[in-house]
Amino acid sequence: MKLGILGGVAMVSMTALLAGPAFSFEGKSVAASDCNYGGKIKSIVATDEHTVTFSMCSPDPAFEAKAAFVSFGIEPSEHIEKDGPKKALLDNPIGTGPFKLDAWNRGDSIVMSRNDNYWGDKPSYKTLVIRWNQSGAGRLNELHAGTADEIANLSPEDFDTVKNDPDLQFLPLASPNTLYLGMVNTVKPFDNVKVRQAIAMGIDRERVVDNFYPTGSEVASHFTPCTLPNGCSGEDWYKFDPAAAKKLLAEAGYPDGFKTKIYYRDVFRTYLPEPSAVAVEFQTQLKQNLGIDAEVTPMESGEFISKANSGSLDGFYLLGWGADYPHITNFLDYHFAATNKQFGNAFPEIYNILNKAGTIADVKTAEPLYAEANNAIKQLVPTVPIAHGAAAFGARATLKNASLRPFGAPRLQDIDPGKDSLVFMQSAEPISLYCADETDGESLYACTPIIEALLDYAKDSGAIVPSLATGCDANADSTVWTCHLRKGVKFTDGSDFDANDVVASWAAGIDAANAAHVGNTGSFDYFSSLWGSLMNVKK
Amino acid sequence: MTRLDSASANAADVIAEEGLIGDPVPLWKQTWQRLLRKRSGQVGLIIIGALLLIALAAPVISPYNPNDVLIGTEHVKRREAPCIHLLGCDLAKPQHIMGIDGNSRDVLSRVLHGTRVSLMIGLVTVTTALVFGVLLGAIAGFFGGFADNIIMRIMDVILGFPSLLLAIAIVAVLGPGIVNALLAISVVSMPAYARVTRASVLSVKTLDFVAATRVLGGSRSRILFRRVLPNAITPIVVLATLGIATAILDAAGLSFLGLGAQPPMPEWGTMLGTEKDQVFSAPHLVFFPGIAIMLTVLGFNLLGDGLRDALDPRLNT
Repeated sequence: MKLGILGGVAMVSMTALLAGPAFSFEGKSVAASDCNYGGKIKSIVATDEHTVTFSMCSPDPAFEAKAAFVSFGIEPSEHIEKDGPKKALLDNPIGTGPFKLDAWNRGDSIVMSRNDNYWGDKPSYKTLVIRWNQSGAGRLNELHAGTADEIANLSPEDFDTVKNDPDLQFLPLASPNTLYLGMVNTVKPFDNVKVRQAIAMGIDRERVVDNFYPTGSEVASHFTPCTLPNGCSGEDWYKFDPAAAKKLLAEAGYPDGFKTKIYYRDVFRTYLPEPSAVAVEFQTQLKQNLGIDAEVTPMESGEFISKANSGSLDGFYLLGWGADYPHITNFLDYHFAATNKQFGNAFPEIYNILNKAGTIADVKTAEPLYAEANNAIKQLVPTVPIAHGAAAFGARATLKNASLRPFGAPRLQDIDPGKDSLVFMQSAEPISLYCADETDGESLYACTPIIEALLDYAKDSGAIVPSLATGCDANADSTVWTCHLRKGVKFTDGSDFDANDVVASWAAGIDAANAAHVGNTGSFDYFSSLWGSLMNVKK
Repeated sequence: MTRLDSASANAADVIAEEGLIGDPVPLWKQTWQRLLRKRSGQVGLIIIGALLLIALAAPVISPYNPNDVLIGTEHVKRREAPCIHLLGCDLAKPQHIMGIDGNSRDVLSRVLHGTRVSLMIGLVTVTTALVFGVLLGAIAGFFGGFADNIIMRIMDVILGFPSLLLAIAIVAVLGPGIVNALLAISVVSMPAYARVTRASVLSVKTLDFVAATRVLGGSRSRILFRRVLPNAITPIVVLATLGIATAILDAAGLSFLGLGAQPPMPEWGTMLGTEKDQVFSAPHLVFFPGIAIMLTVLGFNLLGDGLRDALDPRLNT
């Protein structure tokens, strides 16, 4: 065993004679010196050529859901080590995916060609072109003209146009999201649980969804959308009952309502397609159903988010959440954790259950706990979940298999365009093609055909399916995850895929002291937000 | 004092006495007659008159309450295009001459009630700006010296900023809302009145009838408010009329940016601002409030032009 110090981190290189007498595998690893750095990951070790072991600092049942994210994609270790420190990974992605990059014509298009050595089902067409146009109307024009075969992010007002056009097909995107009406329980009168319950019952959420959301949107029965495992365990939300709501409000001492404000930011989101119209609708309903006088107050986006997160808004606020990864913890733990101040003081009745449930990897075992947590949310009403908004893409009617999955970028490789090439048009140019250090959807869309992660998201649900790993097993309390890698996979540069590539790709992102931890901006946001923190961050 | 009054008779009266045989015609009456002879004055008066009538009668002539959401009460879609029975719209459908807005409200009722808001904005801002602007300008022009310097340099500083930008800055500090927007527009339009008043006062105070009052021992405030100001007011009247148009436009601009009137108040600028993204999918939502703003501004501009011509002695000899 030899020990090397690289860039201030302990990089343990183990010589293991596991692959037979003729070949010795030297497994890389990356580890935090201890678990006090605030992150989830203790170490990532290439235990043999086709096995990688992730040791966690605390139980992480959502490991698989997070590891399937394209930002944790795998590139060859030689490529990472050679080009990473030189910031040369940004426009030179080398992956195992169904396509490889041919050219990035800046300001115009990205051209990819089929990877003929792909380990999975090979695409039916040779060339994939990704283009972009910021305007929704502009993208629709290109789709009408046939200069694009599929377009991302239809404007809600174009939904019907696309549905009624026999030349086009409408592709609903079930990306899980929730709009909620926030309240801060440290501000009068929201400190009274009866007031909060009255508001929960006194808003006709169906009317909001029917009138202001595109078809395909749903009234929220729970805070978490039902597409996520355990998202909808427990009782459904209150039925709309203005009489009962009025009664509760009177019991709380506000028979004639009260004066307050509705804060929001005027920014389009799938969970809130028309902020100002929806804000006025809430204003109308609060007045009509409960006698509450709420002034509509738009705020600048950044100020709004920071005030909402710190719980310093003294009225209602319209905010929502789009899922990062398909696990209920991404919704419930984020919003109702003990440290979250956005609804005022966190409720121990909720976060104690969540902490218990958060150690359990098995969906069925965790179900009663999440049912209990959802019921506690219904009882205490820290916030009122309103709607799960629908989004959609559009495509030419001639495209076959052009469906979208709830998580991850669209699987463009599955499409059969009936010709040699496919043109996909999105909202903006990718920032870079090194997605470990990108967060915008446009970059992630463009990385997905090239780069693959250990696991992947299913085509039709939030389930996790094998990709470069044939599977990952957890120990009893989900603190050690062992991933078994697929054998015989080659990168598009011809090199073989093995466990060291996995460690090198993860180390470049998670370890701030790694030589290749340069990226584009160097912030590696998904590594730090999904795994708690980066290792070896300079203080 | 009766002798004094007749001796220093109003300058216009003197001109009238010299030019006419018989009873002198008061200035306001002359102006009115001249205004009625001018095409621009006629059109302006008709538009403003109609708007005033609409504003007064808004609750009576509006088919709906401007803030009533029609979801559940009527079978209409959000942002539905205008439905006019006379033009062949299905009689079974409820009539909405200007269509339905993004919150399922009747646009016609909102535009009609918007007349009240806009006229109120125009009159209140101009009155406020006028009172303070004229007072400051008169003091500056009449007393001169130190007071003149202080007042006019402050006005110059305010004039140094583009007016709408300064208004935005003021509202940003005070917080969005219709009252703050009115205040901001009053502040930025004040210097124009101060300047014109000062210039006018400067020329009037050298005239003989002012000197006569002074010789007869009239107090300074009496000279300023009874002799000088009434004779210096003509250019200010014209400016104020035109100023109403600018004020309405500025207020609509602030509301468009979300800084002025807040929803659900039926203000034209707010209506434009909230529906600007629907300009291609539901053009009626920006067309009607836009037309309303244009007509109102046009009306005040025409009236202002007409008044200027009517009050200009060189054009009326």
